[in-house]
Amino acid sequence: MSANGDILTVNQLNVAYGEAKVLFDVDVHVRPNEIVACVGRNGAGKTTLLKSIAGFLKPASGAIMTGSTSLVGLTAFVIAGMGIKYVPQDKRVFSDLTVRENLELGSYASGDYDWDKVTTYFPKLKQLMDRKAGFLSGGERQMLMIGRAILGGPKLLLVDEPTEGLAPSIVSHLKDVFVELAKKSALVIVEQNLPLVCAIADRVYALNEGRIMAELIGREAIRPEACEKYL
Amino acid sequence: MNALRWWWGLVLAFALLVVMRVFLPLPFANEVVIFSIYTIGCNFLLGRVGFISFGQPAYLAVGAYAAGFYFTYFGANPYIGIVIGIVVGFIVALIVGPFFVRLRSDYFALVNLALAVIIYFLMQKVLAPITNGDNGLWYLTNLEPTPVLDLTHPSQFFIFALLVGFATWAFYKYLDDSIYGACCLGAKINEDKLTFLGYDNFRIRLTAFVIANTTTALAGALYAVYLGFVSPEITSPTRAVDPVVVTILGGVGTLYGPIVGAIAYTGMKDVLSQILVNWELMIGFLLVFIMLAGEKGIWGTLEPRLKKLFFRKAASETAGGSKARTA
Amino acid sequence: MIDLSLLPSGIIFGLSLGGIFFLTTVGLSLCFGLMRVISLDQMLYYALGGYMTYTISVLTGNLWFGLVVGVVVGAVAGLAVERVVFLRIYARDITFSMITSFGVLIGGVGVIKYFWGLVPRPVTEPITVQVNLLGTYIPVYRLIIIAIALGVYGGIWLFLNRTIVGKAIRAGIENVEHVEGLGINVYRLFSITFMIAGGLSALAGGLNAPLIMVDPQMGLEVMAFAFMIVIIGGLGSIKGTLVSSFLVGQVVSLGSLFYAPLAQMAPFAIMVLILLLKPTGLYGSPLLKR
Repeated sequence: MSANGDILTVNQLNVAYGEAKVLFDVDVHVRPNEIVACVGRNGAGKTTLLKSIAGFLKPASGAIMTGSTSLVGLTAFVIAGMGIKYVPQDKRVFSDLTVRENLELGSYASGDYDWDKVTTYFPKLKQLMDRKAGFLSGGERQMLMIGRAILGGPKLLLVDEPTEGLAPSIVSHLKDVFVELAKKSALVIVEQNLPLVCAIADRVYALNEGRIMAELIGREAIRPEACEKYL
Repeated sequence: MNALRWWWGLVLAFALLVVMRVFLPLPFANEVVIFSIYTIGCNFLLGRVGFISFGQPAYLAVGAYAAGFYFTYFGANPYIGIVIGIVVGFIVALIVGPFFVRLRSDYFALVNLALAVIIYFLMQKVLAPITNGDNGLWYLTNLEPTPVLDLTHPSQFFIFALLVGFATWAFYKYLDDSIYGACCLGAKINEDKLTFLGYDNFRIRLTAFVIANTTTALAGALYAVYLGFVSPEITSPTRAVDPVVVTILGGVGTLYGPIVGAIAYTGMKDVLSQILVNWELMIGFLLVFIMLAGEKGIWGTLEPRLKKLFFRKAASETAGGSKARTA
Repeated sequence: MIDLSLLPSGIIFGLSLGGIFFLTTVGLSLCFGLMRVISLDQMLYYALGGYMTYTISVLTGNLWFGLVVGVVVGAVAGLAVERVVFLRIYARDITFSMITSFGVLIGGVGVIKYFWGLVPRPVTEPITVQVNLLGTYIPVYRLIIIAIALGVYGGIWLFLNRTIVGKAIRAGIENVEHVEGLGINVYRLFSITFMIAGGLSALAGGLNAPLIMVDPQMGLEVMAFAFMIVIIGGLGSIKGTLVSSFLVGQVVSLGSLFYAPLAQMAPFAIMVLILLLKPTGLYGSPLLKR
């Protein structure tokens, strides 16, 4: 509820794919300007959690609230229009479209045509504007995906495995960007890279087999040793 | 006891068909039985393997024309004609099968329809010198009366068709219950997993394709004997809808769906086409309605309820009887 | 054996046939590309377009006006069917949409029979002028059909590459979930695509009406060719649809110069051949689902 100052409250969330239950009574809180990290093994249900929040999956039961508005049952594009944007893991940009066209679509969706913030975070995209997105490197694709998601100034970014398979220099660049972004909005990041998590996260949820095993709050609690046992 | 259970549903279903014969006109009963046999192949492909074919008339025509050619040019024994229909259907399915089952399910549907069109033009125009084009082959009077069951006689033909139908259903029931049936279903749901288990997806599909279309050719040969003529009309693209509608109407992937569907479809066609001129309107909206209502069809909806009803009365007997699984 | 003087007119005939085929199938292809549905009801809008053109041109004496009305009716009918039927089945697999839209097509044929009866109706050709081209006389109307088809292809290209909605559709053809994730109302894109598809199918039916007679089965008759064209071109590819439409048009037209019955079958033989070499068609992508 907005009373507790959360920007996102997930309460007793249960999600199933057909017969197979994936999430069990999950509670998640995200406060404004917070970076929340979800850690856990593959198949723990991290992506499912993000997709359920973003409206791509229908929960079996439970509540997902932003302020006093329930997100359950809303379609994904309505949720995105409310400023809750999901950046998927697959790094699949629209490969047949140019970088410019990819950003145009982000602008079309949000009504925000100010690309300066994108090019400030990711100056490299400026030179790539007319290149087909299919010819970008993995890091450049990730930049483009985050770039087109931050158009419209989202209040919550859901980022799925942003650094997976990327070069260390790009990872540290993304780290800085996330810290910058958190000044204006909140972030939920699914991440396996513990040093990154420990450097930037204000709150960590450890998932295992669809259940929240631990919630770590504050810099002192979030140490690699504390997170490691859940991976 | 086990064997008894196994046969129970089959015997009941065909006993009902015999009863139906008493109350309803003979042409109707004959049409229903042949139509059910025609549809069970389509039902099997869609319900078990996940392939929808808009080209079933192609295989029907193969069986019908194979028998028709035999009756016109070579012989007069209805039994031999039917066997020839089956054999030619089997061969054709075996030839085109390897190409078709490699395709994605959407392409599969389209290619089958294309095959129906090819055969249509083949029979109507290209082979006109031997098929008489649109007029078709007429050989009713050529057919030789046969001993025991005289197939040239509609009422005795019905008994024969019923026996053939019974055998067909017993065969498909056996398939459903066997490991092969499970494999087909597996191929429909997740082909990758099936491959990991060590099954050859291609062979499973090919077998299903050949079985289904040989059955369809059998129905075609039955039509050829029963009607006493074949014409290209049998494979006209506009009739491609029939088996699909009956499959959906009866209930996809259910064992008795084709029978129920054939009764309902033939019945509606006979009754409604007298009242309503507009037959397509009805059938089109019925199809959409069934699809939107959950694609279970008549039998798919009835079966669980009947099961419940019977289970209360005599659990042991019906357990095997109405075990036909829904897809 | 073949009379060479017939060749130019045969080629023009094939091109105009290809133009009709392209307009009929481009909607089918677009709908598959974006929504992953097979929309057989396009053949219904094709017939509707033919009948609207017939009725309006009988009433007003102007075929072009009838064409415009046909396009509007086709687009509206496409939108209505999308809202009522397809909206409920987007999540289902492809065979599902195929059967359901087939039901719509059959039901629609019934509607046409109800309003217009069973008898085929002739539509007068609006332009009977012929021009002399390389020694043979070519009906101008056929040249107009070719021009319209190419114009529509250009229009679709501009729409997809120059407008933001078109870009969103192109993006959706690649990955509809990501488009939705950006906050774009994909269901509106779906409706727009269906309206375009329905309108173009109706345009094809209207243009073809003077060349054939309109009859209730006309949609079903063209369906087999439509199937074949999208298979050869590759489902979902606009360019592939254009290429295969003209290819099939030429095969039918030139084939009939050699041996008339073969002309109807040759395209199917080509289709089987192409599928053997490339199971997803000339320009088709191997993806199965979104």
